[in-house]
Amino acid sequence: MDMRITEAMTVYDKLNILTDAAKYDVACTSSGTSRKSDGTGMGSCEKSGICHSFSADGRCISLLKILFTNECIYDCKYCINRRSNDVARASFTPDEICTLTMEFYRRNYIEGLFLSSGILKSPDYTMELIYAALYKLRIEHHFQGYIHVKTIPGASPELVHKTGFLADRMSVNLELPTAESLKLLAPHKTRKSILAPMRLVQNRRTENQQELVLYRNAPRFVPAGQSTQMIIGATPETDYQIIQVAESLYQKFELKRVFYSAFVHVNEDKALPARTDEGPPLLREHRLYQADWLLRYYHFQADELLSEENPNFNVLLDPKCNWALKHLEEFPVEINRADYKMLLRVPGLGYKSAVRIVKARRLGVLNFEDLKKMGVVLKRAMYFITCSGRMLYPTKIEEDYITRNLLNVRERFPEEVRNMGYRQLSLFDDVSFGENLKKAVSAH
Amino acid sequence: MKTIYVCSDTITGIFSAVYDAWRQEKSEEECKIAVKGMLEQELFCEYEEVEETQKKAQAVEVLIKKHLGRKAYWDIYHAALSEAPEKGTVILGTMLAAKQLSDSTRIMEHLSHKKVERVFELSRSVGGEAHSYKGFLRFRELVNGVLYSEIAPKNQILTCLAPHFADRLPLENWMIYDRTHGAFVVHEAEKKWVLVLDEGFDRSMSQNVSFKEPEYARLWKSFCRTIAIESRKNSACQLQHLPLRYRKDMLEFGTKEDTGHW
Ligand code: SF4
Repeated sequence: MDMRITEAMTVYDKLNILTDAAKYDVACTSSGTSRKSDGTGMGSCEKSGICHSFSADGRCISLLKILFTNECIYDCKYCINRRSNDVARASFTPDEICTLTMEFYRRNYIEGLFLSSGILKSPDYTMELIYAALYKLRIEHHFQGYIHVKTIPGASPELVHKTGFLADRMSVNLELPTAESLKLLAPHKTRKSILAPMRLVQNRRTENQQELVLYRNAPRFVPAGQSTQMIIGATPETDYQIIQVAESLYQKFELKRVFYSAFVHVNEDKALPARTDEGPPLLREHRLYQADWLLRYYHFQADELLSEENPNFNVLLDPKCNWALKHLEEFPVEINRADYKMLLRVPGLGYKSAVRIVKARRLGVLNFEDLKKMGVVLKRAMYFITCSGRMLYPTKIEEDYITRNLLNVRERFPEEVRNMGYRQLSLFDDVSFGENLKKAVSAH
Repeated sequence: MKTIYVCSDTITGIFSAVYDAWRQEKSEEECKIAVKGMLEQELFCEYEEVEETQKKAQAVEVLIKKHLGRKAYWDIYHAALSEAPEKGTVILGTMLAAKQLSDSTRIMEHLSHKKVERVFELSRSVGGEAHSYKGFLRFRELVNGVLYSEIAPKNQILTCLAPHFADRLPLENWMIYDRTHGAFVVHEAEKKWVLVLDEGFDRSMSQNVSFKEPEYARLWKSFCRTIAIESRKNSACQLQHLPLRYRKDMLEFGTKEDTGHW
């Protein structure tokens, strides 16, 4: 690799290389913190996040998402920038990052910066450069927009600590769900080097929250919290293993979000799964996001959704329907009486509708028409609920029967899965769809 | 006979009309508010041109805030910025409906009332458009350092955008021109923003971009192109989130080459 070449490169070339190198990162949102400007510089943050554009793959563009460098000394098998690949290499300088961010921000192209990086020379060397870029932005230019920065595994705690006072969100990629897989595909990283900074940020955040109670104007440490991401489908973990990992990250590390990234084949390597025509496993990714949602907002536990015997999500039914069908003894629930937690478990009933129901039934008895107005999807919910003791239509509460009916209700996939996922579904439409359907209907 | 109050399409206009109707203690059936330019002639009605004053408008603002609460004022204010011709009538209807409630601050929960529901819808759609433009609007830097933006919103959202950008870019000189309504907001560094209604504004200076501008436009376009993942390409999804009407003023969707001009 010729290091000198980067010096002759224009910022335009660097931006192309280092955007291309960053694009597989999924954890890109500007939400989670709100901040007014103090009038001395530039920038503010909106709690709900703002999308500034949408790229051709339909994803929101909110942050300037780039790598600091892709001149990486590591050799992670799944990564386009691994040492052993022959790709164009570049590194920004802290000044270049700062100028790009400021100039893009003034023109309202972006909400802020999402800075990730390969490892140039050593973890500390890289983290030092990242810190320098953030220092320039925050301290020299009084930039108050959103900054999400990746912690480099193996960087010293002092550097992580200093950086945390300049960033809104920090994240360190878990990369793969288990330590074994990590060893196999990311030989230079260890579970320990990943979890150590995660723990550090967690502990420092807890301390910081106490400081903020005492001194309202104390500097804030990673105010938007931590997130992480892992690659799905590059290694043989089951969905059960994956959501157990996610659950413990939420519980033990207080993460704000876990992102799942369907494995995209960019390298040929015998340690990776064989290439197929199916493209990234987007439907699986979607099921994991649904389950993740159930863990965070619906009081479900990983153990309730899957088990050793039944370790993967049903491709045909969302995880909540799947759970409900296996727990028919708990249904139907009476909308006018059931407690909030039980309402959350009803298929077709979201947490917002559940809140609305609990509020509205204080004022009067609810019927199916009211539920519809509150956003309940009756087509799905009708098998599981009664209003004043009555079901919407007389139906059998029987697994096969309900399953068949639910399968007739078209699930609303996100556009992305709809386009890709349906192609995958119809692929095995011909071969094994019938079989899967039978399994879905008559397993258990 | 039904009275139709005719006013201009401004907050002052609509609130002044509400003021007149309120003062004359009209019932919901007895009156309507029509906005100039969106007028539909009706038979057997009496048309009354509203005399519009700041004083009337402020009185109505105070009345709403005091009796219906700030949240309801927020909704009513946003509804008044809407492109919908019936906005004045539904705002008045909502205020009259609030009068009937024992706790008038709960008016916006009264969604089974058609006019309240409509105010709520209008407010949501105006708020939604304003939120979209907070992201989709683009500034370009002119030779004199001013950041200039042009948009073509359906609703009159400039006053929703101005506080957002004033907070965000306090040290910059910037202006946003609304082509649909022939209005603009101007913000001078470290001062308060102002709204100017002027159909005859000369936009020729807006083509005179700074020396650095083409380069940043080129960098941004290239970024947007590169960030997309080819194997996940999905224009339907892109279209759903970013309808065509916004793209005209977004340089990353421009057809012209990387010049920084539009
Ligand atoms: S550390 Fe691994 S994942 Fe990160 S850039 Fe280097 S090779 Fe890629």
